[in-house]
Amino acid sequence: MTIQVHFYSYFKELTGTERVMQELPDGSTLGELHRQLIVRFPKLEPMRKSTLLAVGVEYQGLDHILQDTDEVSLFPPVQGG
Amino acid sequence: MRRELQITREPITETSLVNARQMSAGMGAAVYFTGVVRVQEEGRDIHAIDYEAFEEMARHQFELLFQQMEKRWPIESVRLVHRIGVVKVNEASLWVEVVAPHRGEAFAACQFLIDEMKRLVPIWKKPIA
Repeated sequence: MTIQVHFYSYFKELTGTERVMQELPDGSTLGELHRQLIVRFPKLEPMRKSTLLAVGVEYQGLDHILQDTDEVSLFPPVQGG
Repeated sequence: MRRELQITREPITETSLVNARQMSAGMGAAVYFTGVVRVQEEGRDIHAIDYEAFEEMARHQFELLFQQMEKRWPIESVRLVHRIGVVKVNEASLWVEVVAPHRGEAFAACQFLIDEMKRLVPIWKKPIA
């Protein structure tokens, strides 16, 4: 399956892009996607533990099973206000 | 509970927001908070902050927080304005108002909303030197 991935804040600088498509085996989890993205964009590695992950507009844990139409967002801790 | 949310590139005009307040006869407290950009950010002088939002998710997360507030306190209304884009030092980046029957719940709900926003709502800032 193909997952559309969006990066926000300085993750755009770390990856050099706002959006990528990532191929994954069917039934993959969000954690597996995160690992693949770190292999593809090693500058994300130091932020591994503090990275926030959302599917659509909801936060999800690493064990969330992805569907082919999911849009995933990765970003650093939020800083509103 | 009435809610009003603006995520905007326009300046926050506090007087207009205060003048637009609606309170029914049973409400005894209107608490509002203005967050202003400081000249120092992480120990360095800056002249502005550039705010970025994942707006669709930010709106959804704010709505989830409003739902939690509605369950916890007898609030009549909440209004929140958050600027995005470049906000200069001394300008307001955030304005929040809670109207409730008593000050205790109004203060508590306002504090809750701001604390949870800073934890959950996808908005980021980039200081501009």
